[in-house]
Amino acid sequence: MAAYALRRLVALVPLVFGVTAITFALLVLAPGDPVTFLIPPEQRGAADLAAMRHELGLDRPLPLQYVSMMRDLVTGRLRSFGDRRPTLARVGEALPVTLILTAASMALTVTLAIPIALVAALRPYSVLDHGATLFSLLGISLPSFWFGLGLIYVFTAQLAWLPASGIRPTGAAGYNPSLIAPYLIMPTIVQALSILPVMVRYARSSLLDQLAQEYVRVARSKGLLERTILFKHIARNALLPVVTITALLVPFLLSGSVVVETTFALPGLGQLAVNAALARDYPIVLTTTAIAGVLVVAGNLAADIGYFYLDPRIRDG
Amino acid sequence: MAGGLQRSRVVRAFLRNRLGVAGGTVLLVCLGSALLAPHLAPYDPYRLDLAHAFQAPTWRHLLGTDNFGRDILSRLIYGSRISLLVGVVVVVFAGSLGTALGLLAGYLGGWLDLALMRVVEICFAFPFLVLVIAIIAVLGPNVVNVIWVLGLVNWPFYARLVRSHVLALRGREYVEVARALGASDARIMLRHILPNSLTPVVVASTFGIPQAILALAALGFLGLGAQPPTPEWGAMVSAGREFIFQDPWLITWPGVCIALVVLSFNFLGDGMRDALDPRAQRV
Repeated sequence: MAAYALRRLVALVPLVFGVTAITFALLVLAPGDPVTFLIPPEQRGAADLAAMRHELGLDRPLPLQYVSMMRDLVTGRLRSFGDRRPTLARVGEALPVTLILTAASMALTVTLAIPIALVAALRPYSVLDHGATLFSLLGISLPSFWFGLGLIYVFTAQLAWLPASGIRPTGAAGYNPSLIAPYLIMPTIVQALSILPVMVRYARSSLLDQLAQEYVRVARSKGLLERTILFKHIARNALLPVVTITALLVPFLLSGSVVVETTFALPGLGQLAVNAALARDYPIVLTTTAIAGVLVVAGNLAADIGYFYLDPRIRDG
Repeated sequence: MAGGLQRSRVVRAFLRNRLGVAGGTVLLVCLGSALLAPHLAPYDPYRLDLAHAFQAPTWRHLLGTDNFGRDILSRLIYGSRISLLVGVVVVVFAGSLGTALGLLAGYLGGWLDLALMRVVEICFAFPFLVLVIAIIAVLGPNVVNVIWVLGLVNWPFYARLVRSHVLALRGREYVEVARALGASDARIMLRHILPNSLTPVVVASTFGIPQAILALAALGFLGLGAQPPTPEWGAMVSAGREFIFQDPWLITWPGVCIALVVLSFNFLGDGMRDALDPRAQRV
């Protein structure tokens, strides 16, 4: 297992390199001098720009600059323009919120998608199947921020059931599930709705593929119960692609969390990135971008490991 | 190729798809309002009238007025210009860049193909909105930059699509024949392979436009796209947000517009895909 995970991790190195290189290229390709990006506004002009450039290593070749920027990021020398704290510390505070939201939305999506896909696949081209398709199109067409504001209007403004913003009651700390749950209900629903259509479509076509396989006909001719065939034989094979799609949806959810966290004022990675972009806090923007890349890689790795446990062909082969 | 016959078959197949036709109709209305905005809009979308702020719908203001007393209907009509324009320009930009790169990569192969596909993979893996926000933070928030950025992050979709079709077409007999007759690589690519790879690009574009419109609206909502007082739909939702308890209509109308246009494009895309490419699997 460890060897397998390590092998997969090595295979993902180009991806980590790619995302961090894009982040770095942003700084280099941006109009203007990186000095003006990396030095807090109040210090600009005060000191000799050439000396600063040298101090930041900006007179060195690009590959060296890339390495030193990554080192500064990892060692916490890269600091926010806003409160001058290491960017990694700021990201570290925001990360749990995004992770909890992402995990909750994934869980809700899978719980809803599999039954819907089953109904649609068992009766393809029926009214229910067409209904699922129509619902999917609706799901991907609603702007998530608008849907979120609609929920706030109903459940906060009208019914006063749920809080509209934040992650926990004022004065509380930490991530006590019973305290934060009410704050996460609406954001989770919004996130789940945005990826549910994709998940349903994949799960449906994967189930249809399996239903057409010969082993299903054999199982039926043996006289097995339809229920046994479905849950014992088909489910396992059909769910493998669902595991992959779950990992592929991580970047999608991270994109979504940018909007959803802003809608519900959740202090997560997405809100941090937006506020940093609005305030031109470049070190924070860089760090959130890089961390988002790392999360995507982690999602890929998680899918590979999930495959390892679900598919004996990989486990033993 | 029996062009005319083929075309009438496609048109008839499309017309049978009721949702596709409905989507197309809504979009035609929207396009008309965008083109004729100055003639259709009852008021100047920027004119402030604080004495008549937060008005409910009346005959004078069919959809009411916003927090500055501006006529909401007029702002929505002008907003359709921005959304449609951005959606189309982004897709044309991303589509042509992606098609060109995908054609070259698929036809020439080798290191170019390898390098390009690595870039495409990385772009696919990355949360695009995070990347867009990072670039906007550097370039500055406005509609023109949004177009650039969305074009730059969307081309990989088209590149991968075109490349896969080129790979399939490259070995076809008619291409071999063209080569044997002495056609140059450029001629084979542009005259023989490109026209046969365009149908999937057209279908993908129909789904790409609503995505760009949604992204523009999301960026407007975040304050990183169109800036107030521009009557962009997402920015209008953002501006109406603080009055959600007082006057929920402010955020309702622009949201309805976004959802309606995006949904119509998706219906249209579904209908076009089924009509143009009956064998395409509906995944």
